Amino acid sequence: MLFGRKKKNPIIINNKGAVDWKYTTCGYCSVGCSIEVGLNKDGKPVTTRGVGGADVNRGKLCVKGLTEAGIFEGNGRGLAPKIRESIDDEFTTTDWDTAFDKVADEFKRIQAKYGMDSIGIVSTGQLFTEEFYTLGKLVRGLIGTNNYDGNTTLCMASAVSGYKRSFGSDGPPGCYDDFEHTECLMAFGSNLPEQHPIIYWRLKEALEKRKFPIIVIDPRKTMMGQMADYYLPINPGTDLVLLNSFAHVILDEGLEDNDYINSFTNGIEEFRELVKEYSPEDASVICGIDPDTIRTVARIYAKANSAMSIWTMGINQSTHGSDGVCGINNMNLITGNIGKPGGTSLSITGQCNAMGTREWSSCAGLPGYRALENPAHRKEVAKFWNVDEDFFPPKIGLKETDIFPAIETGQIKALWIVATNPLTSMPNTARIRENFKNVEFCVVQDSYEDCETVDYANVYLPGAVWAEKTGCFTNTERRVNLTEQVAQPPGDSKADLWIFNQLAKRWDNHNQMTFPETAAEVFDEMKYLSVNGDSVNGGERMLDISGMSHERIQASRGIQWPYSEQDHKNQFTPDQAVEMHGERLPTDHSKVRKGNPRLYTDGVFQFPDGKAKILSLRFNDNNERPCKEYPFWLNSGRLVEHFHTRTKTGKVGNCNKFSPTPFMEMNPHAAAKLGIRSMEYVKLKSRRGDAIVMVQTTKRVPEDMVFIPFHFHNCINRLSLGLLDPHSRQPAFKQGAIKIEKTDQAEAAKINLANRTF
Amino acid sequence: MFEVRKDEPGYAQLFDPTSEEKNRYGQDIQLIPDGEEPVSLRINNEDAIGTNPNRNKQHGFHFTADNCIGCHACESACSEKNDLPDHFAFRSVGYVEGGEFPDFQRMNISMACNHCDNPVCLKGCPTRAYTKHPEYGAVIQDPDICFGCGYCTWVCPYNAPQLDPVKGRVEKCNMCVDRLEVNLKPACVSACVGNALDFGVIENTPGRREDIDTSIPGFPDPSITQPNIRFQQQKEMPKEVTRTDSMQIKYTLDELGMYKPEVDEKDGAEKHWNVKRLSSSENPLVAFTLSVQASLGIFFILTLGSWLGIAPIEAAKSSVMYLPMVLVSLGLSALGLLMSVTHLGKPFRFYRGFNNWRHSPVCREGLGISGFLAFGGLHLLTQLPSHPWIAPLAETIGMSSRIAGALTYLNVPTALLAMISGGIGLYYMYRCYRIPARPFWNHNSTGTHFVGNAMTLGSLILAVVFVPTLAIIGEAWATLLTVLAALIFVGSLAESIGLFIQAREFKTAKHEGAASHYIQRTTFGCTYILRNTLLAITCLIALGVTFTEFAWLQVIGFVGLSATCLTTAIIGRALFYVLVVPTTMPGAFFWKNKGFVEHARDIGMDHMPNTGVVPARH
Repeated sequence: MLFGRKKKNPIIINNKGAVDWKYTTCGYCSVGCSIEVGLNKDGKPVTTRGVGGADVNRGKLCVKGLTEAGIFEGNGRGLAPKIRESIDDEFTTTDWDTAFDKVADEFKRIQAKYGMDSIGIVSTGQLFTEEFYTLGKLVRGLIGTNNYDGNTTLCMASAVSGYKRSFGSDGPPGCYDDFEHTECLMAFGSNLPEQHPIIYWRLKEALEKRKFPIIVIDPRKTMMGQMADYYLPINPGTDLVLLNSFAHVILDEGLEDNDYINSFTNGIEEFRELVKEYSPEDASVICGIDPDTIRTVARIYAKANSAMSIWTMGINQSTHGSDGVCGINNMNLITGNIGKPGGTSLSITGQCNAMGTREWSSCAGLPGYRALENPAHRKEVAKFWNVDEDFFPPKIGLKETDIFPAIETGQIKALWIVATNPLTSMPNTARIRENFKNVEFCVVQDSYEDCETVDYANVYLPGAVWAEKTGCFTNTERRVNLTEQVAQPPGDSKADLWIFNQLAKRWDNHNQMTFPETAAEVFDEMKYLSVNGDSVNGGERMLDISGMSHERIQASRGIQWPYSEQDHKNQFTPDQAVEMHGERLPTDHSKVRKGNPRLYTDGVFQFPDGKAKILSLRFNDNNERPCKEYPFWLNSGRLVEHFHTRTKTGKVGNCNKFSPTPFMEMNPHAAAKLGIRSMEYVKLKSRRGDAIVMVQTTKRVPEDMVFIPFHFHNCINRLSLGLLDPHSRQPAFKQGAIKIEKTDQAEAAKINLANRTF
Repeated sequence: MFEVRKDEPGYAQLFDPTSEEKNRYGQDIQLIPDGEEPVSLRINNEDAIGTNPNRNKQHGFHFTADNCIGCHACESACSEKNDLPDHFAFRSVGYVEGGEFPDFQRMNISMACNHCDNPVCLKGCPTRAYTKHPEYGAVIQDPDICFGCGYCTWVCPYNAPQLDPVKGRVEKCNMCVDRLEVNLKPACVSACVGNALDFGVIENTPGRREDIDTSIPGFPDPSITQPNIRFQQQKEMPKEVTRTDSMQIKYTLDELGMYKPEVDEKDGAEKHWNVKRLSSSENPLVAFTLSVQASLGIFFILTLGSWLGIAPIEAAKSSVMYLPMVLVSLGLSALGLLMSVTHLGKPFRFYRGFNNWRHSPVCREGLGISGFLAFGGLHLLTQLPSHPWIAPLAETIGMSSRIAGALTYLNVPTALLAMISGGIGLYYMYRCYRIPARPFWNHNSTGTHFVGNAMTLGSLILAVVFVPTLAIIGEAWATLLTVLAALIFVGSLAESIGLFIQAREFKTAKHEGAASHYIQRTTFGCTYILRNTLLAITCLIALGVTFTEFAWLQVIGFVGLSATCLTTAIIGRALFYVLVVPTTMPGAFFWKNKGFVEHARDIGMDHMPNTGVVPARH
């Protein structure tokens, strides 16, 4: 013994008592980590661990994934359907049949009175793809309203829109493996260490093996900004100017890839003319980056043999979100950086299944990246579903951000909110609150009955959460991965697939359609639709999942689409690959049954002529900007320990404790001028409303900007304006103007506490 | 044994093909000679013995500060593996930051236990709950032995042992020895997403790394405990880095290229009372130390005074009230011990406080005071039969006066033994606070504070009891007042000088003591001034009482003194505990931020377990 007791006691090391492990995919963000949930000897899920052999996370998990078993125990779950006539009444608990009848009757009544499209349905990126597909079938095939959208409009709509405008289709063309090949990475408004820690780790691993330049464009000096070789603190909302200026330098100095441009793109001439107007000198006045840096960065990017761009909400949540995405695509098209290892435009998605809803929910038209506006697509789906083709609306309806304002004009009279919390997540809370008060009928389907939006529901339907059911998510790199059911939904709450299927039975035409009961059967329908039908450019359908099945996905720890039956025959399982190559983690995807890592490798895009579009995009300065009365930029973003509106992470103490109340990053010089100290509460005012928040002084932000995490109810969105992008209808959450006032500390503390019910 | 998965990733596996002989502190890395029969750690009562080839080498964490992204993965992986409640953590991440936007840098620091070569926690722990194992050099604490005094949390410079206010006991990082036994790195290391944490045989440089330093900004002086942690930090940090938690400390680069703590005046310069904040979870210790010091003061003054032949004290000692006075003295010490026991998280385990007499000052303090009680009690017994009130009773029960007479021979030896024990108790009470990780206490002024209070409080109580006694029995009492006032003067002066020197040194000190001084000038500024003023008044009155010839003035003076002395003692001792700023690791903005914890408790957020704050222990 070195020191201490001679007679040693046994060392007691406590653990959660997991004896059995089940395969799932993380239900938080879009990274798509494979998780094994540990069950104790009573079969109760108690803990999680990263799956070592999974290609995405290779055994790692972030704080949310590591504590994810905590959500099975989380407070605030809905245990039974609830119903009430008016939102002023108390809820009464009811049975499912009564609840479904009420929903169907009210929907039918309101549609009869106000028209088919008077129901607004706002879905989510949180459900399984099979559930999205079923919801889409229910909405497009039975209910028939055209005003059906997902909350993905708040996060990825600009990326979707940008991909469609540049490449002819949604679908991120790159993958995480691109980090291993790229020679330059440019990140726009993407704070990987906080937003997507496991993607960050993949990047870090690549960097430790082989250093390559990192360029980070962000108005706030995030951790990602700190690790950059070039950190560009851009003026909020001016990315398009910077991008056009990069293109100016590249084209001006002849650094473009003319072979690629000529072979695979349209629109270069007009683009050349446009970007002439964006010299680094002119651009720098608007975007705040000096001309020398613009030139240097553009040269580094263009001269790299392969270069990739990633972005997140810094681009998407802007009035030029869609244009920003197209600007990034432009830069990659003119440098030939699409569809090759290390060269890509990779949007880093937000929700666990934002991709699934984009692909299969019919929010954007019809399933499998099909459009309502395309007669062939209408025909294919109508035939497969056995519905009247004319029952489908002629073109896409309102987006989420237009559905709520449409209540004000009387166009929308009822709402069905599925697993999203607009009362916290939408900009301008005061307006949203009014909107909710002014519908005749509102259904909220959510796992959590303490979700703030439930306050405005006439009917509340308790859904199951994450691994209380079975199904698939698609991640940022198009990897479809499986979640096995590991726990029963609590009380009388039900899997969302069951809810959609039961509700569908309330419509007569239901009998002529099929609504399969299990996720695996639904997956088979999706597989069918993923290959059978018209492709835009005469080639194969791009979103091809026909080689997948739940079993195959689990065996491969996730498969990237496109993945045809032929791909399946040509590739091997990881175990076979290990046997053949003696590697634990083979990275050569072409040999392993992991699907296809990249899109557009052949340079053929999803336009009829197969060519991508280089778009000429003029910057139009239409943001709310700081002024004399409201002198601070209001910036927002997320925290690693929280997800969305905290309905899950707020109840997991080992996440929530890292930020149990909202706070605001403020530059200490600005704070000192106003006599404000760190840890004091302040009152914020914008043209929309006011909010109370605690100040954290830090020089992470410039003196004219504050940063507030968006997760907290009754905080930043009481202030935010959320001007909409004209193409994607995504709100500009990150650009607004506020003023800051000192406030009574005791009173502020009371308000803060009252707003923190979880 | 810990389950190793088939697809366990390479980064989670230990890899130390070679190692150094000695570490930088000159200690052998091989902890027991090669070839010794391996012993089972009996993890969770399993007899298995691990397969790790480096099982008997000192291991340690490696932290690449440049890489830590503050993502909390290490913290949550640890909490998940060890099934820790929300408010409690073995590992925590805090940060320091500096520079101006956009040339701004935040440096995150993830810290658990450093399994030190000189484990001050182990040495401080009175219960011997700690063991430094020859397996991996792991310092492991057994919560089932711990009685929750929290002393290890005071002495550790890194905040590694944590006192759980709910369970009332300390727990800490166990190095994941169960994972080490099967060649896996600890859970936190395996979970690290920034490639910042690594682990292996100490002094080995991990793969893809170059440096194995022992300092980064915000990390305490490694000479205190010789920690088994190594750092790499190559990104240049700004010359001044600040903390975002409420701690009034920042770190500045000195000429030697080291970051040294100094005051960060983040709460401005206004002076406040904050009387409520004087009350803390250390209240029982305020009572304990004050009453034991008063008790020892009484006994020492009486015994030494009479031995030195000071007439009024001799008179007091020979009075009928001497024995009751000794009883009061012993009672105060007993009360003190009781208070210190109530301070424990597990009071019924109090007897374990004597386990670690070889190392722990807490243990020796307890032993000393208990010895004082025992010998003082014997001293009392030796005199009891001959005391005028008891003698008749003794005779009636048949005790001969010869026995009573013989017993009086034991008077002096028992008093001497009581004084020696009491002296040891008081000395180790003082040593308890000479903690390098708590610079505000680690100063001679703690000694003058304790001895000064023993003199003032002892004298006060003696005056209260013996002045009326002497007056009633018709002896001269005024000279007693003179003597006691002189003692109060000396005690208060000693305390004042100690405080003065401490304040002068700490004003510009390059350690956390400077922050303590800043807090006493601001947060408790008014209270601090009041205490100092009272102390000065005490000195003046005591001096006046010593030299005045008017007995009635002396009496009035003493009435004044009893008010000033008691107030000074209570405020002073409360300040002593609330002002200490440990050399902790920097916290984050909410987690490990004392200011937020206080705020959460103030507004009632501590009743929501998901905030990570639980109600304070009382």
